[in-house]
Amino acid sequence: MGRNTSLAMSLGRIGLLAVATALLSATSAHAADPAETGLLTAYANLDLATADGPRAWLDDRSGLGGTGKGRFGNPDGDGLRVRPYVSEAGLVVQPDFGWSLSGLVSVIAQHGQDKAVDVSEAYLRWRPLPFGPVRTNVRAGVFYPPISLEHRGGEWPVVETITPSAINSWIGEEVKVGGIEVNLSTMIGEHRLSLTAAGFELNDTAGTLLTFRGWALHDEKATLFGYQPLPAMAPAIRGVQARETRPMIDLDHHIGWYAKLSWAPPGPFQIQYFHYDNRGDPQTLDAGLQWGWRTRFDHLGATLDLDDKTRLTAQAIDGTTIMGFRGAGGRRWINMRYRSAFLLGTRQLAQGSVSGRIEAFSTRNHGSRVVSDDDETGWAATAATRWPLVRHASVLAEALHIDSRRDARLREGVVPHQCQNILRLTLRLRGGTAG
Amino acid sequence: MRSPHFPTAALFCACGAAAAPAARAADVDVQVRAATGLPVAGAVVSVHLIGRPTPRPRSTGTYMVDQQDIQFRPFVLAVPVGASVMFMNHDPVRHHVYSFSPAKKFELKLASKQQNQSVLFDRPGIVPLGCNIHDRMIAYLDVVDTPWARAADAHGHVLIRDVPAGMVTITVWHPYLRAPGNSVSRTVTVAEAGVHGETFVAPMRTPPHDPGSGY
Repeated sequence: MGRNTSLAMSLGRIGLLAVATALLSATSAHAADPAETGLLTAYANLDLATADGPRAWLDDRSGLGGTGKGRFGNPDGDGLRVRPYVSEAGLVVQPDFGWSLSGLVSVIAQHGQDKAVDVSEAYLRWRPLPFGPVRTNVRAGVFYPPISLEHRGGEWPVVETITPSAINSWIGEEVKVGGIEVNLSTMIGEHRLSLTAAGFELNDTAGTLLTFRGWALHDEKATLFGYQPLPAMAPAIRGVQARETRPMIDLDHHIGWYAKLSWAPPGPFQIQYFHYDNRGDPQTLDAGLQWGWRTRFDHLGATLDLDDKTRLTAQAIDGTTIMGFRGAGGRRWINMRYRSAFLLGTRQLAQGSVSGRIEAFSTRNHGSRVVSDDDETGWAATAATRWPLVRHASVLAEALHIDSRRDARLREGVVPHQCQNILRLTLRLRGGTAG
Repeated sequence: MRSPHFPTAALFCACGAAAAPAARAADVDVQVRAATGLPVAGAVVSVHLIGRPTPRPRSTGTYMVDQQDIQFRPFVLAVPVGASVMFMNHDPVRHHVYSFSPAKKFELKLASKQQNQSVLFDRPGIVPLGCNIHDRMIAYLDVVDTPWARAADAHGHVLIRDVPAGMVTITVWHPYLRAPGNSVSRTVTVAEAGVHGETFVAPMRTPPHDPGSGY
């Protein structure tokens, strides 16, 4: 469908960019810090990017997604040509309904998004005034589970780098839920404890991209009504699974759940454990060949402040996803295990920050129809720096190297082992009105 | 009117009858340091008399806690019991200030960049402050029942003038002081004139970690 050249998509980004520009020029209520919130926030990310490596996974000009791991690729091999992009523009509205109830609606237009404008998140938040030592937060609607330690703020931006880790790229593209989440937090002595639990739907296809494309590193986010392209699939599954996946869909009406426990002992350290189970029925499908996937994972996250300017952040994930009927040997058509981990170090400077990240990722297939051809092993290294320019603008520069091997690339005539480099310079504009 | 900002607002001994120069009194000079040797700014030093009643502080003027840049300022404020504290919102966003402390339960709904509201603190004790909208906003009021109390400056230094001669208890409190009640005390005898010096080396805990994202 040629999403990269879609006129409607371009108009959507340009339209939101125009609104963002108007807001930026008309208001000065709050600044580039995504932690600052107001009634209306407009933002736009303007990119200069160059890349090598295979066709990006979002580039579906051939009718299928590419096999590249990044947001940008260079399938034509025309050297390191720098191209401009409006990688993302959006509006975030956060109305208050009294003093304990508020809302958030995030409307987004991204380079590579199939709809001109779509909804990223939309939820109500209830924060009753504490009457004791326990704080309560309730969210209801469409939102990201609290997994990423790299994102923060209303529009869910990555704070210190341009590209999130493979783990949080996957959360961004496939793990968004529609449900109700309750969070309780308290101090016990000098220990801060927080327990979060949620019941959700709208996430039955989580695991589709991870199985057919594998891990990727990019800042493209799933949208409420959008589709994501899939690359060439194993012959035994072609025609059974649609060539695109819709991340936010409910097929079986099974209520999934997740839970998270965070612990911050005395000292500059905190750790959190998260478990997710979408309880999808792997044998359910709709007329468009979107399947239910039973996807589960365990996740650990931790941060350690070495001093008041240096923070180490680590996340690790280990999960499985299954899809389809039982085939030979009683095995499901697809039974895939996925793992990844990263370590990110960030040093705050007098102005801005510098960051470095190293990570590894893998998938292993044990199904009857998708086998070891779709296995994957890889690693990536990222170096980034962030400079605040003025109150409404900051610049980030990033170098990303991704090394991965995936035999399934041969289906498109691409060498299984790929080393890819992506350089990006992003101007982030952000402003809005007070709440 | 006294400066509204910590630590200069916290010297009560200069504002009431009890603060009038006593016939036989000395100044108490306290230095508060962490075990690392770093000064403990904001530590509240208070003096209570032993063997005779400690007079109640007389509060005049207004004490202030600002909300600015999504923070409370100051982080610690010493307030004489019976005083009112003005909460001023300088931010372009609204704040929902609250405390569920036994010493004072209250909530204030402060619209953006306009509203100031005051709260009377009529019972001594520690009053942790929070904002129901911005989790990272934390501050503490130490509502004290003595005219001789003051919060340490950036160098961890406190000078309390005109403490009556005789036995007294000097107490140091800070929210991150690792001790029962987050405070340590010692009994000393104040001379009839001059300056009585004390140094407290306080075991401090690291401030709570800010994970930086959600919960």
